[in-house]
This record gives sequence, structure tokens and C-alpha cells, in this order.
Amino acid sequence: MKIENHILNILQLYEFAMAIGKSLDYKENCDALLKLILKRKSLNATWILKEEKNKLISTYSLPMGKEVKTDFDDKIKQLLESEYQYKLLDAEGVPPAITPIKIETGQLAVFNLKAQGYLFFYTQKHNFTEDQLSQLQPVIDKFYNSLLACRSFEEQKTLLQNLKVQNQELSDYAHMVSHDLKSPLRSIDALSYFLKEDFENELGEQGRQQIDTIRTNVEKMDALINGILDYSTIGKHQTEFYDVNLDQLVKDIINLIDVPEHCDIKVSELPVIYGDKYRLQQLFQNLISNAIKYNDKTNPQIEIGASQEDGYHKFYVSDNGIGIEKAYHDRIFETFKKLQNDGSSTGIGLSVVKKIVETYQGRIWVNSEPGEGTTFYFTLKDKH
Amino acid sequence: MLISSIQAVQIVQNISEHVQGNAALISIAEGTAIDIEELIAELNKNGIKFMGGIFPKVIHGSSILDKGIVINTLQNIESLFLVRNVSSKNFSIPEISFEANQDYSLFTYVDGLTSNISNYLEELYASYGMQTNYFGGGAGSLSLKQKPCVFCNDGFFEDAAVACVMKMKSSIGVKHGWNKVDGPFIVTKAEGNVIKEINWNDPFEVYKTVVENHSTQTFTDDNFFDIAKGYPFGIIKSDAEYIVRDPLMVNDNNELVCVGELEDNMLVDILNGDVDSLISASTQATKECMDKAQHPKKAIIIDCISRILFLENEFDTELSSITDAISSQYPDLSIGGALTLGEISSYGEGFLEFYNKTVVIGLFEYED
Repeated sequence: MKIENHILNILQLYEFAMAIGKSLDYKENCDALLKLILKRKSLNATWILKEEKNKLISTYSLPMGKEVKTDFDDKIKQLLESEYQYKLLDAEGVPPAITPIKIETGQLAVFNLKAQGYLFFYTQKHNFTEDQLSQLQPVIDKFYNSLLACRSFEEQKTLLQNLKVQNQELSDYAHMVSHDLKSPLRSIDALSYFLKEDFENELGEQGRQQIDTIRTNVEKMDALINGILDYSTIGKHQTEFYDVNLDQLVKDIINLIDVPEHCDIKVSELPVIYGDKYRLQQLFQNLISNAIKYNDKTNPQIEIGASQEDGYHKFYVSDNGIGIEKAYHDRIFETFKKLQNDGSSTGIGLSVVKKIVETYQGRIWVNSEPGEGTTFYFTLKDKH
Repeated sequence: MLISSIQAVQIVQNISEHVQGNAALISIAEGTAIDIEELIAELNKNGIKFMGGIFPKVIHGSSILDKGIVINTLQNIESLFLVRNVSSKNFSIPEISFEANQDYSLFTYVDGLTSNISNYLEELYASYGMQTNYFGGGAGSLSLKQKPCVFCNDGFFEDAAVACVMKMKSSIGVKHGWNKVDGPFIVTKAEGNVIKEINWNDPFEVYKTVVENHSTQTFTDDNFFDIAKGYPFGIIKSDAEYIVRDPLMVNDNNELVCVGELEDNMLVDILNGDVDSLISASTQATKECMDKAQHPKKAIIIDCISRILFLENEFDTELSSITDAISSQYPDLSIGGALTLGEISSYGEGFLEFYNKTVVIGLFEYED
């Protein structure tokens, strides 16, 4: 009979252990185990109190009872603090402030959940034994770990929610700002155009040049605003991914942009990748345009190629252009950082490229020698 | 009070005279040819507060009736409420302000054929805890076809429960008389009321091995319930009666379909009983209940319909053992009740459970 009871106790502990961790929701996780213990052990109530800013607060209670929010005073500390895993108390001596339900007689078992607080079990009958609590301890230890997981999950959810809100605010702000900035720019552009058209003779050469300067700066400002908007929206919105033929994409880019005569662009076989054509076009177009623009050679050479490495596609865009000093190899990817006093550069192009690469869980880096040329390498995750 | 009339107007008149301004607990045997909607309308017209259920049979005194309406008066009502959508867990339990130093009793009927009854009972306990005793049963048809079976002033419903909380002391006795044959076993997989695996094995094979060995009978294609009604499962609890689960049938996957819910990793024994053990249990339940009572005014018996299916002609003996014991000490006590699909009790201690194959006796005390 004794062996049978031991087997029964062990199997009951198995049932309790299997009830732990069925949910990452704190209340559901507590319900799954604590309701089961109440039922199987014929207990009356259970609750968890956690210390926060020197107060004891109930985080779970069954039955619900009243909310516990009490000072963690010396009397209660004497009862609950100190090194122990569990203890058995007479219900009569327990301060009502730490019980969500009214208890007069019976027993209270307290398990120390360390950072997660104190777990109480109450029975009107005196049917707890030290042996039972000792047997329950490993189950409670496992339960403690599950509570940690629940708390982490909750925090993660909150952080993600905050991030979502902030992203949306940023996106809204960027749209708002770009719209408010673009509107006067359009006016300046239009008016300066009409000024030049209608008063061409009166303006003279110098006047016409000044108006051209105004219009160039307006274009630059417009490009900058578009760049900021692009930068702020990359990765913020759910984008549909599909197979994109990069061979065709790069060919289309070369046809689209202004490639100078004597400029050779050599494209090796490029893979089909799973992505978003709009952003991939931005990425390649920025790099190819830079390779063309920052080249002082009579016969500019640009090479574009790819290889496969460890679940990633590795690409390169290489040129024989002016090159970049090593000190600036990281800075060039920072927003608004330009290396040349180039009126047409917004300083945001490579930041956009880097951000696009990061949405594909890749990275970008550069090898370059001043006067000899530059190679941009970047990886994009292979989703196939 | 027992009403045999099936005319709504007559029934309501009788109820009104009986309850005298209090609320009515109405238990109707499913063989009664009565229009429930008409009855509800008439009761509402007469301003009578009520709750009730339809049952396979009802109990009045020491009689079991296929037809008839048993009325109990519900005094000192604190709250009477309806809970819908029991199966989808989409309901809330109304708040009640319980007074200190006051006894309360909660009486409830639930659709015995709906799912998630345990969740309904858990929510009741979570809301009210030890501030009240709990007592009640599962309503429904012996055909096991789910249909509207609980009612109150708001209408006639299935997948619902009706409950009332009264300022009233009660004493409860709960026993079943089923004893262990073999176990423990682990229900390693369960879904609702279906046992899908026992000890990681085919549940019917495990069950069959034990039962055929003990009973010396053999399961065939059409005799499952005839044998199984004597061999229920018992969910193991420390220091308390098993929670019994009745296997009803074997499905096409060799899984055991039971009355009442089960959960993964439950520990169960396979039980057996006989006429003597069952009748002895009901006598004990009555005694336990009477030992705790002081001045009861009424008795309500909630007895599982499957006990009469097992005891057959001997069920009269079980009922008499209860009613005789009560009447011998309290000769003027009204005794009523029902044969139910599941029984509800706190047994005065701890968490609320949904029992099967069990007899629950309640003695209720109140000031006149």
C-alpha cells in the first residue's frame, strides 16, 4: 500500500509538471497549474504576492477576492523573508493584509518564488504535510521558471508594441514634414521657372545663372527630402516579397540612367532572389550611379557580380573610380555624411543602401584605394 | 410540491400558492407533455421569479417520476442569474457583495450535454470562492441529444446555466460508492470528453483488458454500455471522493467517449461497484449531510441518471435509503430533486467539481 501511495504521489507530480508552461500568458500559465493543484489536493485558495517598491501586490488569486496591495512591513518581512523554499503556517497567525480572501482557521503553505514573489496555498482543513510540500518543491521550481518566461514575453510584447507605435509616428512625421517642405519648394521651382521664361531679356546672363542656381538647389532639396522619406520608410511597412530577376533588374537600371560614353559596365550572371523589386532597384541604382559619378578615368569600368555563401547571396559593385580613403569606409554609410563638397549629393544615398541591405538581414562593406577604385560588397539573405 | 397538471395556467397558480412571493425552483421530468415557452410566459405574466431545468426523471418524496413537475421554494435570494455560451467560455459571472458572518448557498442547473462545464464551475468558484456552498446538477435529455433544457425568466436555453445565490445555510453530502479495480492510469491524451490515449496506448484496449478480466464478460460490437456502466473511470483526488467519469461508447478511432470532460495527464483508476456499495454510499452521503445540519427545512436530492441505469429496480432501494434516513429525523421535511446528467457540489470544501455517477444530497436551512 505504501509503495502504491508513493507511485500515486509521483504520478500526481507528473500531472502537475505537465501542466506547466502551456501558455506564455501569465494568468493562463498560473491557472493551468494552480487550479489543478487546488482540485487534486482539495485545497481552498491560492495566490501570488510580489514585492514592488516595498509593497506586496497580488499578481494572481483564485478565488479572486480583494486586491492585495500592502506595505511590506517588518511584521510581514519577518513572516515571509529569510532563506527558505517553503514553509507551513497556521492560518490564524497570518496578517489579513496579505490574504485576498478571509481566512480564519486552517493552514497556509508558502513557497518562495524569489524575484517572482511568494506563492500561497490555503486549506481550511489541516491536511498539508512537510513531505507533501517537499515533494511539490521541484514542480514549483519549474513553475518559477515558467513565470520568468511569461514576464519576459510580456515585456517583449510591450517593447514591440511601443516600437510599432514609434515607427508609425516616425512614418507619419516623415510624410508630414516632406509634404510641408515640398509644397513651398514646388512654388519656388514654378515661380523661378516663370521668372526666367517671362523676364529672360530683362534678367541678363547673370540673372539667368542665379535663377538656375536657385532651381538647382530646389532640385537638390527635393532629392534630399525624398531621400529622408525613403530612409524613414524602409523596413517599416509589411512588403510583399516575390521572385526578382536581378539580371533583368540591373539591365533595366543601365537603360534608365545616364551612362557616359566610354563607360563599360560588365554584369556577371546575377541570381533570382526573393524580395521587393522597388527597394532592390533603389539599392543597385544608388551603387551603380555612384560608381559612374565618382569616376575620373577616361574609360570608366564598372563590374557587377554575385556568388553564393552560407545561405546568402554576396554581391559586388566594383569601379576604377576616385576611391575612398580608409578613414571614411564606415562614415560613408552614415546619414548626411558626404566626402566631397558635391552640390548634387544629398549624403543619404548610401544610408538608404545600407538600410535596404539590413532589411534583407545582410551587411555591406567597402574595399577601396584612393585613385584606384572602389568595390562595394553586400549580402542579401537567400530565402529559398 | 409535485404538480401533475400540464396546463400552464393551472401550474402557475399552484406554483404561486406554494412559493408565496418567493422564487421557484422548477424541475420538470422530460416525459411531461408541457409547452415550456408557454409556462415561462405565464410565470412572467404573474410576476413569479424562477429558474429550472428539464431532467430524465424527477424525485418527489421517495418516488421517481417520468412525468411531473417538482417545485421547491427559493427563499432569501441574493441573486438569480442566467449564464449563456457556456461552451464558448464567453460569459461573465455577476458580482455579489457577500456579507460577513452570513451563510450562503448557490444552486445551479447547467446544460449537462454542453462542453466546458468545468470552466463554468471554475468561474463560479473564482468569483465567489468559499463565501457560499455550491449545489446543483446537469439538465438535459436521456436521449443525449442536446436541446434547450434550462430556463428562467429570460427564456428557455441550451448551452447555458441558471443559478441563484441564497442567504441560506446548507449541508451537503457527496458519495458515489464506486471502488478501485485497477490503476492508476494516466490519460496521456484527452480532448473534451474523449479519452484518446491511456498510458500512451489505445484507450479501449487498456480499458477492455482490465474490465474483461474483472467482469469475466467480453465486449462485443453492441454491448459496450451494458458492461461499461459498471466500470467508470475515477479521477484521483487527495482526501476526497473520486470524480467519476462514465464511458458511454467507443468511437471509430477506438477512443472512449465519456460523459464529462477530461484533461491530458489526468490520473485515473478504473472503478467498479455493486448494488450494496452504491446504496451504502447514498446512505453515507445522507448521514454526512444530516450530521452537519441543524434545522433543515428542505432536502434536495441530485442523483445521477446513470445510477438508476445501473441499479435498475434496486434504485428504489437507494432512494428509500436516503428519504427514510431524512424522514426519520425530520419527518416534516420536503424532499424533492432530480435525476441528472452530472452533479455539482463543493462538498463544502475546496474547488467546485462536476461529478458523474454520484449522489449529492443537500439540506437547506432558513428562517421562516
